[in-house]
Amino acid sequence: MPRVKITEYKAKQLLLGDAYQGISFRDSFPPPYQGGGQGAVGDTEMRYVVKVDQGIKKRFKQGLVKIGVLANEISAVVEPWKEKGFSQFIAEPLLDHAVTEEQYFSLERVREGIRMLHAAEGGVDIEAHPEAVQTYVIADASDIAGIAKKSGIPEKFLLNTVEAFEKKMFGFLEINPLVIKDGEAHLLDAAALVDSSGEFFVRGSWTAKDIVKTKAKHESEGRVEELAKTTPASLKLSVINPDGALFFLLSGGGGSIVIADEAELEGAGKLIANYGEYSGGPTREETYLYAREVLSLLLSSKAPKKALVIAGGVANFTDVKKTFAGIIDALSEQSDELRKQGVKVFVRRGGPNEAEGLSAMKAFLEQEKLLGSVHGSDEVITKAVEDAIAFVKV
Amino acid sequence: MNVIDQIRHGADGILVLGNHPEIVQSILDFDFLSGKPAPSIIGIVTQNRRALKCFFGAKEMLIPCFKSVSTIPETKKENIRFMLNVQSGRRVFESTVSFFETFPNALGGHIFAENMPESQATELIKRFGKEKLIAGPSGVGLLVPGFLKLGASGGVGVPQLVQGKLSSPGSVAVVSTSGGMTNELIVAVANAGKSFSVCIGGDRFPVTSLTDVLALAEADKQTEAIVYFGELGGSDEYEIVEMLEKRQLTKPILCYIAGIIDEAFDEHMQFGHAKALVAHKDESARAKREALKKAGAIAPDTFPEFLAEMRKLPGTLTDTNAIDIKPLMERQKSILSTRKIVDLENVPEYVKGGKLVKRGENAFASATLHALLGREASPLAGAFVENIFELLIDHGGHVSGAVNTMITARAGKDLVSSLAAGLLTIGPRFGGAVNDAARTWMDGIASGKSAADFVEEKTKKGELLAGIGHKKYRVGIPDPRVEALSQFVSLLKKHPHYDFARSVEEVTTGKNGNLILNVDGVMSAVLLDILAEADKFTVEELRELADAEFFNALFVIPRSVGFISHFIEQKKNDEGLFRLPDELLFERGD
Repeated sequence: MPRVKITEYKAKQLLLGDAYQGISFRDSFPPPYQGGGQGAVGDTEMRYVVKVDQGIKKRFKQGLVKIGVLANEISAVVEPWKEKGFSQFIAEPLLDHAVTEEQYFSLERVREGIRMLHAAEGGVDIEAHPEAVQTYVIADASDIAGIAKKSGIPEKFLLNTVEAFEKKMFGFLEINPLVIKDGEAHLLDAAALVDSSGEFFVRGSWTAKDIVKTKAKHESEGRVEELAKTTPASLKLSVINPDGALFFLLSGGGGSIVIADEAELEGAGKLIANYGEYSGGPTREETYLYAREVLSLLLSSKAPKKALVIAGGVANFTDVKKTFAGIIDALSEQSDELRKQGVKVFVRRGGPNEAEGLSAMKAFLEQEKLLGSVHGSDEVITKAVEDAIAFVKV
Repeated sequence: MNVIDQIRHGADGILVLGNHPEIVQSILDFDFLSGKPAPSIIGIVTQNRRALKCFFGAKEMLIPCFKSVSTIPETKKENIRFMLNVQSGRRVFESTVSFFETFPNALGGHIFAENMPESQATELIKRFGKEKLIAGPSGVGLLVPGFLKLGASGGVGVPQLVQGKLSSPGSVAVVSTSGGMTNELIVAVANAGKSFSVCIGGDRFPVTSLTDVLALAEADKQTEAIVYFGELGGSDEYEIVEMLEKRQLTKPILCYIAGIIDEAFDEHMQFGHAKALVAHKDESARAKREALKKAGAIAPDTFPEFLAEMRKLPGTLTDTNAIDIKPLMERQKSILSTRKIVDLENVPEYVKGGKLVKRGENAFASATLHALLGREASPLAGAFVENIFELLIDHGGHVSGAVNTMITARAGKDLVSSLAAGLLTIGPRFGGAVNDAARTWMDGIASGKSAADFVEEKTKKGELLAGIGHKKYRVGIPDPRVEALSQFVSLLKKHPHYDFARSVEEVTTGKNGNLILNVDGVMSAVLLDILAEADKFTVEELRELADAEFFNALFVIPRSVGFISHFIEQKKNDEGLFRLPDELLFERGD
C-alpha cells in the first residue's frame, strides 16, 4: 500500500500533541468549536500565519501563505483561495525569527531505518544549497543522542519526533523551515506522508479523512474508490482524457503498466482515456461493477472512433473465466449503445481457466458484433493494445 | 551451499500460515508434476479445521492443519524449511516472527500480503534479512523448477504449470517486482527454462532485496542469464547498475522497466504497487532504463523488443519426463472423507469344525477400541474398556436417561425413538462428563501447576471440576467401582493423570467429604494413562481424542444397552401412557 499525504494540521498534531496551537478551518475563522485540541481564539492582538492545508508543494511561491494576519482578518485572507477551489486552511501563531535561523529537517523511512536530512542553514531555499545538507541514518533509538549532538538539533525534540514517526507510521516527514530558539524547536511548515498500510495499527491517531485530496476527482474515480474499500481485491481507476479513444480495462499491477506503456511508446499517449487495473482475484460481481464504470466513461467520450482494451498478463490466481463473466455482464447491459457508437473490443489475457474465459468472451463479442480481436497467453501481452491502436488510428 | 542449491538437494518442507486452498493445491500439483513422492507442504496453520483435503496427483489426501505454530508435533517440525505466509497484512508480521523464532534453521519464506506496514517490513529486514531468503511482502514468491514452488508463482491450474514448464529446470533466473509479470516472464522463458525465479514484490521494502537475489543468481552455477522486470518508483535498479559497474554481476542481464506511461500524466501517478510512484527525477522508468543501458545491461525500450531479446538468451532446458495430466484434469472432489472403520473381509468366526472357539480376550471391547481409535489397542486398554462397559451398562431406573427411555416407551414409541430419548438426555450433568474430566486432567498436567493451585483457579472462575463429587459416596464410604478401576494403575509404570486426579481429590475432599473422585473421573484418568503408556499415544493425539469426545463414547456405548433393556422391560409390562400423579407435581402459585 502506498504512502499518502496527510494535512499539515494533522501531522503537527501527531508530533506536538496538545502543545500544538494551530487551528484548522474550512469556511470561516474561527471555526465552530468542535471539542478536542482546537482552543478558542481569545487574544485579538495575536498575529497568525495562514496557509492552505491541502498538501500543495511550493505554497509560498504560489501565494497560498499569508504572514502576520490578525484573527479578525483571517476569513477575508482565505476568500481568494476559496475562489481558486481550495477548501482547507490552517492558522498558526506567528513566530518572530530571522531568515538566518531557518533550518531544513526531514525524516524518511529507508531499508536501514530512518534517514535524516538536516541543513543548519538554507531553510526555504534548500534546493539551492544541496551541499549544505547532512545525511544521518537512525538504525536504532540509541543512535539519536549522537546524531543530536553532531547536528545541533535538540535531543529531546529529535527523540519525540522519531518516536512519533515510528508509532504513527510515518513514511516521510519534512519540517522546513525548522527554527531552534533557546534549545526549543519550532515547526514552521511541515509536510508528511503516512504509510496507508498502517491505518489499522495507529488505532485512530490518523484516519482516511486526514489524507489530503490533491485534485478534484472524476466521479467514476470516486465510485471505484468506494467500491475498492469493500473488497480485498485491488480496483483502481484514473481518468486521463475523458474524450480519449483508448479505454483500458486492465488487470494486474505490473502487466497493466506494460500495456499502457506500449500505447505511450507507439505514440498513442494522447488517445489514452483512462488508466486502471483490477487484480487480486475480484469476484464476478466486483468485476461487473468495475467494468460498468469504464464503460460509462467510454460511452460518454466524444472521440470519433473508440476501442475497449481488455488486457492483462498471465494471471497467477485471478480466475479468467469468473472475471470475464463479470465483464460480459457489464458489456451486455450496454451492447446496443456500444454497437451504435461503433466500439470494438480487443482482448489479451491468460491465467487460470484461460481457455473457458476467452472462448466465452469471443462468442459474446461475435454475437454482439463488437469483436476486435481475442488473444490468449500464446500471444504477447501488448497484442490487444496494438490491435486497438491500429483500429482507432485509421 | 546457498539456499537455491539446498532446495535442489531436497530441502522443500513448507509450513503454510493462513488459508489459500488454490495456492496450496497448485503447490501439490507442482510437486506431483515434478515427480516428488510426497507433497512438500507439511502442514497448515489455521483456525477451525484439522485438515484440508487436496489432490496429490489424481488421488485425494488430507493435509494436517494446526491451530498455531507451537502445536505442531515435533516429528513434523524437523522437516519444515520454508514459510508460506498467506495471512492478511494485519497479522502477517507477528506470525512471520513467530515462525522464524520457532524454526531458527528455516531457510526462508514468502509473505503474500500486499499491505504490511513499512516499519514492520524494515523490522523483518533487520531481524531476518541477512540470513533468510524471504520473497515479499507482496508478489508470488519463490520458484525453483522441479524442486520448490513457494507461492502462486507460475500459476495455479495444472495446464498453467505445464505451460510454464515448471517441473523442468533451466538456465535463466527470473526476477520481478510484479506478481503478474513474474508469471508472464515464466511463460515467456519457458523454452529456455528457468534456473529459479524470485518475485521480490512491489512493496517499498522487500525483505530480501534485489541485490541479494542478483547475488544468488550470479553465484548459482545453473544460472546463465538473468531476466528482470521492474517498474518506475524507487531506486532499486541503481543497485543493478552498481553491481554491474563493480563487476559483482557478470552474467548477461536483460531488463524491462515499466512506467513510461507516467509521462502521459500531468503529475506523477501512484500505480498499483506501493513503490510505483516517482518521488525523485531519477526514479522514472526512462531514467532507470537509461542508467541500466549505460552500465551494460540489455534494457530495450518496448516490451516486444524485450521479448525478442529474451529469445536470444542461452537456454539449456532439461526437459524431464512428461507426466500425463489427463487424470489430473478429470479428477473429481469427494464430498466426505473417512477411513475404513472395520475390515469387512475379516469376518469373525466363533464356530470352527463344529466347535466353539475363543477369539481372544475382551474381543468386543478390543474391536470397539480398534474402530474408535483407528488402530489396534493394547490388551490392557481392551481389558480396561471391557471393565468399563460391564460397569456402565445400567445404573438403575432412577437416572434421568433411563426415566426418559421408559416414559417414551410407555407413550407407545418404538425402540429407536425410546433409545434416542434416553441418549439425548446425556449431557454435562448426566453421563457426559467423562470427556470434560479427561480434559481437566490433561489441562492440569499441561499447566504445570500444583493440584491446590489448579483447584483454586477453577473455583475462582466459578468452574465445576468434572470427575469430582458424588451424591452418595464420600470419604469413609468409598465408591466400590472407583476402587475396582483404580486397580489398573498397578499394571502401569507411570500414571500421571491418575496421580493428578488423586491429588485434586485430596484438595477437594479437604473442603467437603463428598468431593471424591467419581467414576467419570477415574475412568478418564486411568484410560489416559493406559493409552499414553501401553498404546503410545502422544499428548497431541490424546487431545485430539478429547476434542472428538472419544471419552464420552465409553459411556454412551454400554449405557445404550441399559436403555434398550429398560425399553424392552416397559414393552413387556405395558402399563399404558405415563402421567405424573398430581401429588408429584409442585404447581407454583405466582
